[in-house]
Amino acid sequence: MISLATAAPTIGAAFVASSVEAVEAFTIVLAVSVVRGVRPAALGAVAALVLLALVVAVLGPLIAAIPVHGLQVVVGVLLLVFGLGWLRKAVLRAGGALALHDEAAAFDAETSALRGEGQAHAAAADWLAGMAAFKAVLLEGTEVVFIVLAIGARPGLLAPAAIGAAAACALVFAAGLFLRAPLARIPENSMKFAVGALLTGFGVFWCCEGLGAPWPGGDLAIAPLIAFYLVAGLVMAGAIRSMRTRTRTA
Amino acid sequence: MSVLRALASTIVKMFAADLWLTIGAVAIIALAAAALRANLAPPGSLPFIVAAAIAAALAIGVIRGARPKP
Repeated sequence: MISLATAAPTIGAAFVASSVEAVEAFTIVLAVSVVRGVRPAALGAVAALVLLALVVAVLGPLIAAIPVHGLQVVVGVLLLVFGLGWLRKAVLRAGGALALHDEAAAFDAETSALRGEGQAHAAAADWLAGMAAFKAVLLEGTEVVFIVLAIGARPGLLAPAAIGAAAACALVFAAGLFLRAPLARIPENSMKFAVGALLTGFGVFWCCEGLGAPWPGGDLAIAPLIAFYLVAGLVMAGAIRSMRTRTRTA
Repeated sequence: MSVLRALASTIVKMFAADLWLTIGAVAIIALAAAALRANLAPPGSLPFIVAAAIAAALAIGVIRGARPKP
């Protein structure tokens, strides 16, 4: 039985990381339900969730069979690469070099695409709508599954990671049902920024632990590492912003 | 079929959105492992070197991404 102090960072990390993906998936499912009704949207989303649950059920026990040090390096590298990608994109968005992700625009694009499909092939419209919901939940859910498997890769941590991810999905779903609108107000880039720093911090920590170069302070080193990448990212975003301002005024 | 294609593209994007950044991060970890095995770096200082090298790789990735496209 693991303690709450050990499980809490895993639950928190899985919760924050999964909520970003859940918002993106929910936007598409909501668009499908607005255009074609709740039934195809729910069927598509539930089918994808069942498939993803099967993936976790199959891969979870397999991960437990791999030696801990080797697993720490492999998962650490995967988390590092995944987290760096998110952090880089979030820094570029915060610095104004990339456009921000707009959930309202994604919702509008999906609803108009589905309306067009509905007029062209009325008989197959529900099937197409269900497939759109299935695809959105499957694709965004794949990232959630990776996060759950990677963050929960140490003995006893798979369940806390799954609880964190499930809580994020449930909260986003409840918020979406209550608001009945795309969750455009959620500061997605700020969350992606934080999650990118978090996954990068976890990745660097696990790589070093797995290689046999442990951090001073053990698990306590994770928090300062995450803070380091957060601050580094903010400094880089600030530098890009001022560089772009100088270029525009010159 | 289109779902499988989209799934494959999502998985590729997850780990190689910026291929050079991915290669850089993997190279840093591989070099750290080699340095540790050859006793070129003390295990106590290696975590800090890796953390700093990863931050430098991120900075290079950000600079490359922020450059105006021709």
